[in-house]
Amino acid sequence: MLAHSIVFYFFSLITIFSSIMVISSKNTIHAVFFLILDFVSISCLFIMLGAEFLGMITLIVYVGAVAVLFLFVVMMININFSELKSGFLNYLPFGSLIGLVILLELFIMVGAWKYKDNFLTTGEIVINKEITNTQSIGNVIYTDYIHYFQISGIILLVAMIGAILLTFQKRDFLKRQNIIQQVSRERSDSVSVVKVETYKGIKIDD
Amino acid sequence: MNNIEFIYPELFLIISLLILLILGVYKSNSYNFIKKITTICFLLCIPIVYLNNIGDFNIFNNSYSVDSLSNYLKILILLSTVFSLMFTNDYIKIQKLDKFEYPILILSAVIGMFLMVSSNDLIGLYLGIELQSLSLYVLASIDRGSEKSTEAGVKYFVLGALSSGLFLYGCSLLYGFSGSTNYYEISEVFKQDTSIPILFGIIFIIIGLAFKISAVPFHMWSPDVYQGSPTSVTSFFALAPKIAGLGAIIRILYICFGEIYEEWKSIIIFISVASMLLGAFAAIGQTNLKRLMAYSSISHIGYVLAALTVGNRDGVISAISYLNIYIIMMISSFACILFFKRKNVYFENIYDLSGLSKNHPLISFCFATTLFSLAGIPPLAGFFAKFYVFKSVVEANMIYLAIIGLIASVISAFYYLRIVKIMYFDPENEKFDEGSNIGIRFSILFSSIIIIFYFLNPSSILYYVEMATKFLN
Repeated sequence: MLAHSIVFYFFSLITIFSSIMVISSKNTIHAVFFLILDFVSISCLFIMLGAEFLGMITLIVYVGAVAVLFLFVVMMININFSELKSGFLNYLPFGSLIGLVILLELFIMVGAWKYKDNFLTTGEIVINKEITNTQSIGNVIYTDYIHYFQISGIILLVAMIGAILLTFQKRDFLKRQNIIQQVSRERSDSVSVVKVETYKGIKIDD
Repeated sequence: MNNIEFIYPELFLIISLLILLILGVYKSNSYNFIKKITTICFLLCIPIVYLNNIGDFNIFNNSYSVDSLSNYLKILILLSTVFSLMFTNDYIKIQKLDKFEYPILILSAVIGMFLMVSSNDLIGLYLGIELQSLSLYVLASIDRGSEKSTEAGVKYFVLGALSSGLFLYGCSLLYGFSGSTNYYEISEVFKQDTSIPILFGIIFIIIGLAFKISAVPFHMWSPDVYQGSPTSVTSFFALAPKIAGLGAIIRILYICFGEIYEEWKSIIIFISVASMLLGAFAAIGQTNLKRLMAYSSISHIGYVLAALTVGNRDGVISAISYLNIYIIMMISSFACILFFKRKNVYFENIYDLSGLSKNHPLISFCFATTLFSLAGIPPLAGFFAKFYVFKSVVEANMIYLAIIGLIASVISAFYYLRIVKIMYFDPENEKFDEGSNIGIRFSILFSSIIIIFYFLNPSSILYYVEMATKFLN
């Protein structure tokens, strides 16, 4: 049990430290790297809880896709983030006030939860050890939660439509490949044989 | 298979969304075509919803309700969306927003609204809200060339994401303390237990939903978004999302939190009083018509919420009747706003309307009646809407709420009447374009007739709403 809690606190400390570093580090690239560290340690915490499927999904989706995409975006767009952060100190008192209020709320919440007698703790939840995590998620996702699953798909579709609509634009000056035009090009369309008279030259219209 | 039978309207819309998307991609310059088919799909969906109304059912493990209330709201959503597609046709073409994704995004937003009004589960409600909002974020910033439209989109997106976060936080608290995300099961828990943490959850959920219908103090985004987005999108914002948001609020307050009415009553009273008063005061200084309409809709939402504080079926009936008449008035006012163009340039300032009555007597008459109705002056429809609300509030011994509502409506009468004064008594301006399309004319005519002649049969809407809320007791 001791080893378990040592490992838990180790990963939790890394998680908290790296998430603070995400918002406070001056260099944006470093911030993204701390974000990756954050996700990795969160997935470790998931695995410690016995939710190995969620942990792996966090790794694949957040580290493998989201954070790497972030990295690309940060590298490609040259924004001076330190300028954006210059207002940080101005907002600090008010922001910390709100943070304090939320912290107090959390204390009330935890207090009420601790002193509640008929409350289930996680230890009492019956877990069927026969089936794995992945299997138990799979058991409900296509049966009880089928409509949510399908709606999530539609949400992703709408996100895709929106992203394409907002970023794709037809620019007239860009030359696009038109295969039909290329294939149907004849010799007579592009090559003409002209006899050039001496000392006169020739006018070529392009 | 049994459950599928009850979600034919949703399935119909989703399938038409997918087919239209494919058609739109393969056909070039397909805005007109796709828009027409989308409108037809909405119109076809109305009888499907109507035929689906064969009783009150809870499907998918009680997580989705198909009942008379949700069907009523769905038909209202479909009708208002059809109108907002109809009268914005000219605007979209002139402003060059005629991309085929526009009607498709509206279609997906409507699917999200359907989920919002009938979901009986926190997860389903959240997914519905996200589907609706994602489409609306994109629609708000669809005019990419304009700085204001982009600003509106970003603002709406950031604040909407924040409110979704608050909503989810509330959901997680509620789930943690009740052990379920289903409304019925949560309300079972409330029978024994109303401890402080659960109330926190409720507050966060109400904040999240109040954000979506732009009730004070979570209204900050709405004037900027209304002004910045293209007017066609603004008119859609003022219509269908309000119905969906209020449908979700009614369902969550009356079914999920029905047992703890005393706890949420004061929150809703505060939100409604603040919305009524702020909507009335803040609009006084506005000269932009769209911004003015944003404040006007905030104040109207306040009245609807005032009716909901009653906490019984009576309150729901007057709230939905108010919503109904609000929708009709908004259709009329946005159709009028879209009429004000000269040589393909649209005018949004109230001083642009000066002397409108001399050049366009009919339009200015319709706009003036709409404004009178928005101010709640008898015998127009807006008066009856306010009357229903005040009646149910007074019957529940909350006279102070009715008095505040009256004061707010007197204050708001000032800015509505100022526009009427500018239209009728100020020096004449240049003429507006005559050749507005049939959609605008039909919308103005249709809604003005309802607004003017509503007093002949004031119980007509009440009758249908009563039928729709029969299961609520």
